[in-house]
Amino acid sequence: MKIGVFVCHCGSNIEATVDTAAVAKMALGYPDVAFATDSMYTCSEPGQEGIVQAIREHGLDGVVVASCSPRMHEPTFRRTVERAGLNRYMFEMANIREHVSWIGKDREANTNKAAELVRLAVEKLRRDRPLHAKQFDVTKRVLVIGGGVAGIQAALDAAEGGVEVVMVERESTIGGKMAKLDKTFPTIDCSSCVLSPKMVDVAQNPNITLYAYAEVESISGFVGNFTVTIRRKATYVDWSLCTGCGSCTEKCPSRHTPDAFNEKVGETTAINIPFPQAIPKKAVINAEHCRKLKSGKCGVCAKVCPTGAIRYDMQDELVTEQVGAIIAATGYDFMDWTVLGEYGGGRLPDVVTSLQYERMMSASGPTGGHIHRPSDGREPKKVVFIQCVGSRDRSIDRPYCSGFCCMYTAKQAILTRDHIPDSQAFVFYMDIRAPGKMYDEFTRRAIEEYGVNYVRGRVSAIQPAMRPDGSMGYIVRGADTLLGQQVEVDADLVVLAVGIEGSRGAGHLAETLRISYDKYGFFMERHVKLAPVETNTAGVYLAGVCQGAKDIPASVAQGSAAAAKVLSLFSKPKLENDPQISVVDIKRCVGCGKCIRVCPYQAIKETVIRGETKAEVVETVCQGCGLCTATCPQGAIQVAHFTDNQILAEVNALCLS
Amino acid sequence: MSVLTGKELRIVGFLCNWCSYGGADTAGTARAAQPTDLRIIRVPCSGRVNPLFVLKALMHGADGVLVSGCHPRDCHYSSGNFYARRRLEMLKDFLPIVGIDPERFEYTWVSASEGQRWKEVVTSFTDRIHRLGPAPRWADIKPRYDLPFNQPEKLLEPIRPLGCGENPSLGELKQAIRDALAAKPGADGRKLEGVLGWKRGFDAVHAEPVFMQTPEDVDELVWGPFNVHNLANFLPQYKGRKIGVVVKGCDSKGLIELLAEDLIKRDDVVIFGMGCNGTVSESRIRARLPENAVIEAARGQGATLVVSASGQDFELPMKDLAQDKCRQCVKPNALVSDRFVGRPVTEPEAPADDRSGALRFLDDLTLEERMGFWKGQMERCIRCYACRSACPMCVCRDHCVSDSRDPQWLTQDDDVLQKMFFQLIHAQHLAGRCTGCGECQRACPMGIPVFALKQQFSRMIKNVFGYAAGMDPTATPPLLTYQVEEPNIKERELS
Repeated sequence: MKIGVFVCHCGSNIEATVDTAAVAKMALGYPDVAFATDSMYTCSEPGQEGIVQAIREHGLDGVVVASCSPRMHEPTFRRTVERAGLNRYMFEMANIREHVSWIGKDREANTNKAAELVRLAVEKLRRDRPLHAKQFDVTKRVLVIGGGVAGIQAALDAAEGGVEVVMVERESTIGGKMAKLDKTFPTIDCSSCVLSPKMVDVAQNPNITLYAYAEVESISGFVGNFTVTIRRKATYVDWSLCTGCGSCTEKCPSRHTPDAFNEKVGETTAINIPFPQAIPKKAVINAEHCRKLKSGKCGVCAKVCPTGAIRYDMQDELVTEQVGAIIAATGYDFMDWTVLGEYGGGRLPDVVTSLQYERMMSASGPTGGHIHRPSDGREPKKVVFIQCVGSRDRSIDRPYCSGFCCMYTAKQAILTRDHIPDSQAFVFYMDIRAPGKMYDEFTRRAIEEYGVNYVRGRVSAIQPAMRPDGSMGYIVRGADTLLGQQVEVDADLVVLAVGIEGSRGAGHLAETLRISYDKYGFFMERHVKLAPVETNTAGVYLAGVCQGAKDIPASVAQGSAAAAKVLSLFSKPKLENDPQISVVDIKRCVGCGKCIRVCPYQAIKETVIRGETKAEVVETVCQGCGLCTATCPQGAIQVAHFTDNQILAEVNALCLS
Repeated sequence: MSVLTGKELRIVGFLCNWCSYGGADTAGTARAAQPTDLRIIRVPCSGRVNPLFVLKALMHGADGVLVSGCHPRDCHYSSGNFYARRRLEMLKDFLPIVGIDPERFEYTWVSASEGQRWKEVVTSFTDRIHRLGPAPRWADIKPRYDLPFNQPEKLLEPIRPLGCGENPSLGELKQAIRDALAAKPGADGRKLEGVLGWKRGFDAVHAEPVFMQTPEDVDELVWGPFNVHNLANFLPQYKGRKIGVVVKGCDSKGLIELLAEDLIKRDDVVIFGMGCNGTVSESRIRARLPENAVIEAARGQGATLVVSASGQDFELPMKDLAQDKCRQCVKPNALVSDRFVGRPVTEPEAPADDRSGALRFLDDLTLEERMGFWKGQMERCIRCYACRSACPMCVCRDHCVSDSRDPQWLTQDDDVLQKMFFQLIHAQHLAGRCTGCGECQRACPMGIPVFALKQQFSRMIKNVFGYAAGMDPTATPPLLTYQVEEPNIKERELS
């Protein structure tokens, strides 16, 4: 084998603390190295040309570049060696910038270390084999999980691009959290006026199949060829007949059913259509509160339904769909703020969440847009907003910022002053985070135009108190860190900007999708900067808050981005796999099945070859993690380019010689 | 490649590509100054890190080894680091028995964004290794050849009465086997092809395995202190065929583990069990006879074995002859059987200290003395691999990595370290799977106490996972599974 080594100066980034010429000279002494040189900027046009020339002149069959991190330029140089006619996998990198020149100033030690890292790369490359991607067909349909604004945008864009979309929504209507909002920042335009047309588009687009009141049950397969089983939960209403006329909801006698859509502000009926613009606008019976389903006595809705759509004996139904890609857009939920004693732990009636307050302000909400405080129905004159309730709080292991609360709090404070002109609004905040377009201007308007009182500090307690006039109020005790003193604010109503976490059940869905998630239930993107839409499972993409806190514009943008990813995936006639995957040596495999047990992707299956049980890798599913290789006692399954012999050669190069 | 003399020590790092390698990049991008000793080997996932890579490095001259992966739950491959956590934790617990300071190995989690944390990890680990100094080199260690725990006066007192008399139920067992062999095909349409048992071996104090297919074969069946072989060992090669087997308590554990790992099917085996009163170590009999004595006969009298050799009778008490594993056996009866013959033997309480004599001895040595012990012992190894052949859990058979070039874990040099490393491979492969039958050691013609290495893993597995192999055919060996929250593994912060 003839190996060429190129040691990069990276300008002075490497050269300043590593003697690259000396490294190249040492490299010439390594086994199989036929050519070694140092170069100014290896990744530049002339730098890459130098590699191509050297490959041709010296008949190299493998190249090592010692420069920056392979996470940075490995793809670049793979293309370079390919241009010169080599297999793109006959290439290795030694990271002598991030791991050497940038972290130490001792030139002697750095040069020695760089040379050793080159030696490792050479030893690894000596055991590399050309790899070739396999091609396979792709089902050009996409599953969108979650019908919030991010999922809606993704579905519409994908459908517009000519791709069939299957949308699964857990609730009986799409719209997500945005459908619950009264107004949106920074324009104070009506949320449903913006969203409803998009929801209608989803219903009317011939390329979109919507499964509302349904959940993903299981997923098998791999990028291009997923099989999805969807559980359509029993609604007890035949939706093909239901016209959404609402007669049933008018007559239903179970009027004390918690109103989930309205965040339990007020009550509703056991058979219910969440809100007038619901898509699909179909009734669902809440089995926990339906008299007929609980005790067998009632049946009023069946009597009044003009189309005879009520089905008390309905069961869940499983349907199967074939898709080639999946977009997860499952959004968020609020953390359980009742664990926080300083805000009354959920026991004070007039301490509400921001989303409850949103419903109280909404014209389609339970109070018709009039703000009444829950305890006595009076209009609050003093409203205190508390931000960062369960956000940026290490003491309860919630270190992250929930992103959009600063903005909606400003919006709600403005709206409060709009709804009730003689009211006062106070906001307890930690920092005002308003980095979006027109955002800072918006918060300034709240303060300067609407006279909202912003108090920089945390709240220590909310205590109910009877005022001298006999009315009930609350004392909100806190700190004003700008004044450096304690403050007490008299309040009629307290609104909490509660921190968010991944949607309820997100962890379970992540396991089903075989994607990573953090302990707060947010899904992990493939790369925090360079692949924020992709996941580590090929063909699974993320949109919206399920990946991390973001506001509506960012969610919509990511929905579009995810759709674009899917469209570009589907634009190829066939897909190619990454060939750096596991390979079974059939001769050595004894069929013990340990690899099958541990594979995170179910990418290994049993097969019978000449009467003997063997393991077989499903090439399009394997992601190349190498867990099987570390598990197989015979070493019969080896992950390409990270084989036992390659890692052993690296260990031996460091320790033995 | 030698380390920079006087400046650096040899520290090897295995970093997962997605989190920790990225974290090291982030630290570099932030120009976070770090010690220069560490050499990073990039792997796809911490789950890719076979603990044997770490052992390889440490046995061959690394002064420290660091493994770093994604934080639990953040694994790029969703669960690779959960497996890594279990395996590496067990490795750390294993190291002292071979004389390696466990402080020389560490594993931790660093995400791609935690550049600062990476710097702290590297700095604190490098500081730690410099504090420990250069690791003792195998080549420089003074070998130690004695086996004090094998001396007659040092043998552990058995926790239950052991015996070697005639088992009154042997006739009944033979009849049961004859009946089973003669029986018509069962509900699955298959006839029993044969039954594995023991018959008299080349002399009166040896038995050897027999595959009984005819009633005459069954006549040869023996039961007693010489039935040392774990016959479960033979079952995987009959996979798919209907075979009977006679088991002692310890053998039945091997059988259960094979079932748990799906290496044999319960429907394929017909199990005959009896209670065991202990087995003998052939070398302990030999040691009590004159040199080159010709053994003519042996008969059991209660707890005494009477051996006639070269015209003389020797009365040898079982407690002097019994194998070490029998001295502390708490499961003398077959744990699983289709036909249990005779009365079960009374099962003793587990002793407060259930360590073998070898472990007790090793525990009292210093780390360097332990390494010297193994170096001295392994010098005797003739690389016959009897240990491997006798092990019922060594399912690789002809495909053992010890003989392979791809992967090539060992060279074929007649080198003590290569021999030792095979024992480390064997122990690592058996971690959480070894049922403690001790056949590896019993089969060793050189009397090398290799069982202690497996016992070290077994006790650590028991401590951390509360798991003992071979007890439950529905269990999953702990290193082939994981829990998201590991109650007995503390998070490794390292900074």
